[in-house]
Amino acid sequence: MNKQLDLLQGTLDMLILKAVSLGPQHGYGVLLRIQQISGDQLEIQQGSLYPALYRLEHQGAITSEWGESENNRRAKFYRLTAAGRAQLRTETGKWNRMTEVIAGILNTAPGEI
Amino acid sequence: MSLFVRLKSWLRAVTFRSRLEREMDEELDFHLESYTLELIRRGVSPQDAARRARIEFGGATVHKEEMRASLGLRLWDDLRADLRYALRMLAKSPVFTIIAVGSLALGIGANTAIFTLAKQVLLDRLTVPHPEQLILFHWVAPKRTSVVNHVWGDFDVISDNATGTSFPYPIYQELRAHNQVLQDLFAFKGTGRLTVSVDGEADVVQSEMVSGNYYQELGIHTALGRPILPSDDTVPGNSNVVVISDGYWTKRFGRSPGAIGKVILLNSTPFTIIGVNPPHFTGAKNVHASPEVFVPFSTQPVLRPNGHGSFLDVPDMWWMQIMARPRPGISQQTATAALNVVFQAAVRSTAKPGKDEAMPHLVLADGSRGLNESARSLTQPVYVLMALAGLVLLLACTNIANLLLARSAARQREISVRLALGAGRMRLLRQTLTESLLLSFLGGLAGLFLGYIGFTAIPRLMSTPWEPLEFNGGFDGRVFAFTAGISVFTGLLFGLVPAWKAMQTEVNADLKDGAQTTTHRRKGVSGKAIVAFQIALSTILVVGAVLFARTLANLDSVNPGFNPDHLVIFSIQQPKSQYPAPQEIALHHSLEEKFAAIPGVESVTLSAIGLIAEDISEDNFVPLDSPQKASDKAQFDNAVGEQYFATMGIPIVAGRSFNSHDTETAPMVAIINQALARKLFPGVNPVGQEFRGGYDEDKVIQIVGICANTRYSTLRDDPPPLFYLPYRQVSSYLPSMNYEIRTRMGMAALMPLLRHAVQSVDKNLPLIDVRTQQQQIDQSIQQERTFASLTAGFGSLALILACIGIYGIMAYTVTRRTNEIGIRLALGAQAGQVMWMILSEACWLAVAGVGAGLGVALLITKYLRAMLFRLKPDDPFTLLLASLLLLAVALLASFLPARAASKVNPIQALRHE
Repeated sequence: MNKQLDLLQGTLDMLILKAVSLGPQHGYGVLLRIQQISGDQLEIQQGSLYPALYRLEHQGAITSEWGESENNRRAKFYRLTAAGRAQLRTETGKWNRMTEVIAGILNTAPGEI
Repeated sequence: MSLFVRLKSWLRAVTFRSRLEREMDEELDFHLESYTLELIRRGVSPQDAARRARIEFGGATVHKEEMRASLGLRLWDDLRADLRYALRMLAKSPVFTIIAVGSLALGIGANTAIFTLAKQVLLDRLTVPHPEQLILFHWVAPKRTSVVNHVWGDFDVISDNATGTSFPYPIYQELRAHNQVLQDLFAFKGTGRLTVSVDGEADVVQSEMVSGNYYQELGIHTALGRPILPSDDTVPGNSNVVVISDGYWTKRFGRSPGAIGKVILLNSTPFTIIGVNPPHFTGAKNVHASPEVFVPFSTQPVLRPNGHGSFLDVPDMWWMQIMARPRPGISQQTATAALNVVFQAAVRSTAKPGKDEAMPHLVLADGSRGLNESARSLTQPVYVLMALAGLVLLLACTNIANLLLARSAARQREISVRLALGAGRMRLLRQTLTESLLLSFLGGLAGLFLGYIGFTAIPRLMSTPWEPLEFNGGFDGRVFAFTAGISVFTGLLFGLVPAWKAMQTEVNADLKDGAQTTTHRRKGVSGKAIVAFQIALSTILVVGAVLFARTLANLDSVNPGFNPDHLVIFSIQQPKSQYPAPQEIALHHSLEEKFAAIPGVESVTLSAIGLIAEDISEDNFVPLDSPQKASDKAQFDNAVGEQYFATMGIPIVAGRSFNSHDTETAPMVAIINQALARKLFPGVNPVGQEFRGGYDEDKVIQIVGICANTRYSTLRDDPPPLFYLPYRQVSSYLPSMNYEIRTRMGMAALMPLLRHAVQSVDKNLPLIDVRTQQQQIDQSIQQERTFASLTAGFGSLALILACIGIYGIMAYTVTRRTNEIGIRLALGAQAGQVMWMILSEACWLAVAGVGAGLGVALLITKYLRAMLFRLKPDDPFTLLLASLLLLAVALLASFLPARAASKVNPIQALRHE
C-alpha cells in the first residue's frame, strides 16, 4: 500500500464541494467518495470532515436534508447550492492557476533563467 | 458568502438548539456505524470493529465543539455559560445581590425619573410633522423706550433689552402679505380659559386661537370632521367654528362621532364643533398638554377671552404669536433681514412711534418646542435634579465597586485556579464583566420600574390638584435608551475594579500562599479611598437635602398675614358679551349675597386678586398733597368685597373697614396697608388723606383705614405696599373674581350648595378652581416641596449607602487585623482601647471624606442661591448639621465591627494564624 498523502491546508472544503457536486451524499459517503476518487491516496481526518461540512452549510455553499441511506438508516444528505457551485468553480480555477505556477517554478531547469 | 445567509443559519441554530444537538449526535452515530460495518466487511471482528472505528474517529465531543464553532455558536455558548455562572454566583450571596441590585435600582430609577422629566422640559418637540423646521418670531427692543407698550403675553427683560413673542394682528397681516422669504406665516395665541356650556352644563376650557392656515401649515389633519380653514378666518363673527382636542372629545363626548355639528356655548356665544384633533396633538403653544378648544382668530371680537375687546385692528396691542417654516434655499439671515424691513415699516405706519422711540427688530428663533414656557422656569431645577441624581448613581456605583473589591479578594484563589487550568485572561475578563453587566442589567430593570413610579409623581410640578393636566410624552424610546445606556455604563464603571483584579492575578502567588498575605496592603488603601470618596459624595447630597428641607421649613413657617384655615376659594369668570361693565358688579354682588345665605357659611367675600396665587394688579397711587416721583406712581392693589378683612382675618389697625355704605354711587374710598402707609406717609396719619389713581386713572379717592400687612402674590416676597378698593366702586371691567368663603363645612358638602347658588343666578356660569386657601398656598411652594422630598430621598439613600460602605470596610479591617488585635489584647490592652482604636480609624476616614465633601459642596451650592429661602448656600448650621450626621453614621456603622474587635479572644486569634 502506498504511503498516503496528507491533505494540504485549505483544500478540504474544495474537495467536499467537488464530492457533493457529483450528487447528494451523506457525510460518510463524502469521505468514501473522496478517498475512492483519489485511489485511497489521500488521508482525511474523519473528525475534521464534519466541522467542514457544517462550515460550508453555514456559509450557504451546501444544504442538507434527512433521507434514507443505502442500508435503510436515517442519514443527513448534503447537496450543492447555486452559491456552492459558483464557489467550486472559482476555487477550481484558482487551484489550477496555482498548481500551474508552482509546477512551472519547480520544473525550472538551471539554464532556463 | 452573504452575511444574511450566515445570520439565518446562526438564528436557526440558536432557536432549534436541541434539535441541532440531536442531529449532530445522530449524524456522528451514523458515521461510526457505517465505518464499523465497513471494517467488519474488511474482516475485522465485530468486537474490535466498533472500538477501532471510535479510535480512528477521535473524540466526538471535540468534533462536536468544532462543528458548533463552524456555526458561529462559540461566543453564544460562552456567553450562556458565563451568564449561568454569574447567576449562580449572585444566587450564592443573596445579601450582596440584594444590596447591589437594590442600590443600583434606586440610582438608575432616580436618573430615569429625572431624565424623563428633563426630556419633557427640555427635549420634547411639538407633535407635528418636522417640528425642527418651525421658526418662532420674536421682537427685541431697548428696554422702556420701545413702542411696545401694551402686551398680552410673555415679556422678558434681558440686560438692557426687552423681548417677547407677541405681535399685533395688523402687523402680522402686513408681515404675511409681504413675506417672500419664508413659507406662509401662520399665527396662534393661547387665549386661556373660556367658559363653555354643553347641553346646559357649564365648565371651563383652555383655548387657542389660530389663523385660518394654521392646520395647513403645521401639516395636521383632524381625526374627525374638518380643520379650521382660511375661509373660517375672514369676517369677524361670521364663522363661529371650533375644533376640539382628542382629550376633550373623550372626556365630554365619549368619543361619539355625533359631536361633529354640535353647537356649544363658548363665553355664551354659540359655536359649532367642526372637527376633532388627532391624539397627541397639543397645539403650537406647548408640548405638554393640549388646550381643549381651537377657534379661528376671526372669533376674537365675539369671544373676548379674558375680558379683552376686539384686537384685530388694534395696532399697538401685542398679543399673538407668529410661526413659519423656512423656504428652501433661503438662509435664516436673509429671511430675518428681509422681514425686518417689512416689520419696521409696519410698526412705523401702524403704531406711529414718537421721534426718539427706538424701533424693535425681529429675531427668528427655534419654534420646535412652541413658546417653550416650561423650559424658562424649570431648566435650572431640572439641571440641579439631574446633577443630584447623577451623584446618587455615582455613589451606588462606588458602593458596588467596593463590595466587588472585597469579593474579588475572596475569589483570588478561584481565579488563580482557573488561570492554572488554562483559562485565557481575556476569557476571565469577559467572565467578570458578564457578572458586572448582569448586575447592572438587573439594577436597570428594577430602576426602570422605580423610575416609572417616581416619574408619575413628578408632573405635579407643572400642574395643580384641582386642574390636573393630561401629559403627553413621558416614557418612550428615548427613556428606554437612556436607562439601557446608563445601566451598561454603570456596569462597566464598577465592573472595572474586579476585572482589573482578575487581569492582575498571578497564577502562582495565590496558590502557593495562604489567603492571608499578598495583596492586602493595596486592597486596604484603595478600599478606604473608595469609602472616603463615598462619604464625600454623601456629604454633598446631605448638604443639598438639608438646604432644601430648611428652605421648605422656612417657607412653611412664613406667616402670610391672614388666616388661611377653613377658607374655601374659587373664581367666577363672567363672559363680557353677557355682562358688559358695569353689569358684572351687579352679578357679583348678587352672587356674594347668595353664597352668604348658604347655611354653614360663616362669611363670604370676593377679590380681584387671589392671595399667594402669583397674581398681581398694579395701578397708580399719587397722594394729592405730597410730591411723588413719576417713576414710582404705581402700587400693588386689590379690589375686594366689604367683608374682605373680616373674612380673611386681616386686622384693621386704624380707621374703618369697608361697609355696606361704600356703594357704586357713594364717595370713593380706599384702605392701605401699613407698608404703604410707612412708604408714602411717613410721620403723617394717612386716614382721611386723598390720592389720585385706582383702577380708573383720574379718580380722587379718600383713605379711610389702615390694615395689617399680608403676603401678596407669593410666600417668598415680603409683604409689599398695597391698597384696597371696594370692588363695587371699580367701574372698569373686572374679568373675573375670586371668592373666599369661610366655613367649617367639608368640600364635598359645600360644592353642591355653591353650584346651586350660582345656577340660581346664571346656569351657564361655572365654578372655577374650587380649592382651599391652604391648598393654594401649598401649591405655590409645590416646587420647593418636590425638591425637598426628592433631595431628602437622595440624601437618605446616600447615608444608607455610606453606612454600608463604612461597615463593609471596617468589618474587613477587623478581620484582617484579628491577629494583631489578639497580640494587643494578650499584651494587656483593654477591650475599650481596642474598640476606640477601630472607631477612631472610622472617624478619621469620615473626617477626611466629610472635609472633602464640604469643600466641593461649598463650590457647588452657590448655584442654588436663587432656589433657597431665608438661607445662604454656605449656611453654617446646615454644614454643621450635615457633617455631624455623617460622623454619626460613620460611628454607627463601625460600632459593630469595633465591638467585634474588642471581643476577640487572644488565644484563638493567635492560634488562628
